[in-house]
Amino acid sequence: MPLIKREYNGKSPEDFRLVLDFEGMENPQGIDAYKSKKGYEALTAVLKEKRKPDDLIQLVKDSGLRGRGGAGFPTGLKWGFVPKDAPEKYLLCNFDEGEPGTYKDRYITEISPHMLVEGMVISAYAFGAAKSYVYLRGEFYDEIGWTEKAIREAYDAGFLGENILGSGFTHHMDVYTGSGAYICGEETAMISSLEGKKGQPKLKPPFPAVAGYLGKPTVVNNVETLAVVPWIVRNGAEAYRAFGTEKSPGTKLFNLSGPVKNPGCFEVPLGYPLKRFIEEEGGGLLDGKKLKAVIPGGASAPVLTAEEVENITLDYECLQAAGSMLGSGAVIVIPEDVSMVDVLDNLMHFFKSESCGQCTPCREGTGWLGSMAHSLAAGHGQASDVERVAAIASQMAGKTICAFSDAAAGPAMSIVQKFPHEFQSRFG
Amino acid sequence: MSTTTHPFSDELKARIKSFLTRYETKRSSILPILHAIQDEKDWISEDDVALLESEFDLSAVDVREVLTFYSMYRTSPPEPWRLEICNSISCWLMGSKKTLEAAERRIQEAKSRGEKLPFSCREVECLGLCGKGPVGFVNKERHENVTPERALQLMEEYSQKPLPAAAVRCAELQTGEGSASENPHSN
Ligand SMILES: Cc1cc2nc3c(=O)[nH]c(=O)nc-3n(C[C@H](O)[C@H](O)[C@H](O)COP(=O)(O)O)c2cc1C
Ligand code: SF4
Ligand code: FES
Repeated sequence: MPLIKREYNGKSPEDFRLVLDFEGMENPQGIDAYKSKKGYEALTAVLKEKRKPDDLIQLVKDSGLRGRGGAGFPTGLKWGFVPKDAPEKYLLCNFDEGEPGTYKDRYITEISPHMLVEGMVISAYAFGAAKSYVYLRGEFYDEIGWTEKAIREAYDAGFLGENILGSGFTHHMDVYTGSGAYICGEETAMISSLEGKKGQPKLKPPFPAVAGYLGKPTVVNNVETLAVVPWIVRNGAEAYRAFGTEKSPGTKLFNLSGPVKNPGCFEVPLGYPLKRFIEEEGGGLLDGKKLKAVIPGGASAPVLTAEEVENITLDYECLQAAGSMLGSGAVIVIPEDVSMVDVLDNLMHFFKSESCGQCTPCREGTGWLGSMAHSLAAGHGQASDVERVAAIASQMAGKTICAFSDAAAGPAMSIVQKFPHEFQSRFG
Repeated sequence: MSTTTHPFSDELKARIKSFLTRYETKRSSILPILHAIQDEKDWISEDDVALLESEFDLSAVDVREVLTFYSMYRTSPPEPWRLEICNSISCWLMGSKKTLEAAERRIQEAKSRGEKLPFSCREVECLGLCGKGPVGFVNKERHENVTPERALQLMEEYSQKPLPAAAVRCAELQTGEGSASENPHSN
């Protein structure tokens, strides 16, 4: 079990385990284990004390919680967009987790799926949804089972169903399973998929909070976002804000992958130094290799050089200012002996395969980037090809239905701009 | 089609019926129903699509839209054991390409000796376990740290196991006077 090793900002590592506090329990997926750690106390208090839904929305706004699915949108604000008088509303939990490098949402359900269920019922109460779905990617066979079992147990214990705990609030929950399409992680594509259609993103507005599943107001939130809601309800907004930075409050789960000694899922306060994270939590690189570059937020995040990593902190603002993004919190470590030309080839192959194809700049752009990166890696390229990669990438951003096209262009641009010398040595 | 074997077992028919009413609209049941068919028969044929329309009133156009968009649905009879190795960035950094090559080589070597292994191998995108790469699946079972040696070992282990029920069913329906073998949809 990974633990932060030293105190940070005057707090002991044990203090930042808001979510990972549930690690290491016996029978971790069962409701009894969850209840032994204050599980369902937040929901019980909300319903028994007849807390006003608007007060809960305000609490989440005050906590500063931002969406953990990648975009970092303020969660309370999103809930506030849902029309109050709509007769039918839905909550959709985004458990598609397809961003290469990311495996935190599945870890949450491995250590405690009830955390997600409780968070969802409270969230649904806050904006008045009577039905929710957990949309899981199709390959998550174990996770689908854990989530289904937790939902059944919650029904049996009276935390789901009609008139929960005698409060008059009714909520039903079910799972839905995707079938192998990265793009279904995008919220409007996910809604189409849940409707039984192909998962292609739709133009926004209208935003799902106004017109989503079956045209009804639908809040889409990531697993991690929803799972931390019970903690915030139990401890208050101020307690949550005691972690992190002014603009990026709270803790976040980060996944470390690539050739490091101690890969895993860690919880740290936002604003934590990236270098320290890799060296202390990750134990540094395997075989004493030197760091060449880091992808800080999943495959969609522009690459940082080892030099840039020195001064980066893991929060939304710092990474944005550095031209990258916090994204899903997947820190991918690239060692000195891996060529960035090959990294480009690998990443562009991913984007080429996963574009849904409905926007020309994305379909054509990812197609070109994929084949050009491949020919550069095969040693068939020349200087003008590297320029063309940059030119194509610059034509792909901000012109499409969803953010996928930008997500492909960003890493391509960062690699050709920051590592031009590596391409020269590979020209045919 | 042999008269005794309906392509859908009674159990599958019951599952299909329960999916039809589980969601707000019938159309939402298409994805789970296709998973259920595949769980039983290993793949989804054009006959199955026709049956969903005639027996369960699901539009074949809608079903085909789903079948062709999502990569987990198989539209031709597969090998009994399917190795799927993640080659996305984190696994690739841990050597997934070598794993893929080793497994593929084993299959090809056997082929050149005139031997057919019950395996297929393909590269897939991120499977959501990136800290333990290379990550791979054999059918629905997930494996971590699948080095080339481990991949060969897994192939050895699985070839000792009884074939999965779905593969057996798939083979039965193939050898019957199956109209399934005339599937125009196969790829
Ligand atoms: C191409 C693409 C893929 C995405 N994949 C995911 C995903 O796997 N999981 C996720 O939670 N959000 C994903 N998102 C973000 C969702 O669209 C959405 O913003 C998010 O689920 C909202 O939840 P949050 O506010 O709690 O973060 C993706 C977005 C895009 C553009
Ligand atoms: S940007 Fe790409 S993935 Fe997104 S809708 Fe357009 S074509 Fe599809
Ligand atoms: S990159 Fe291979 S499992 Fe995520």
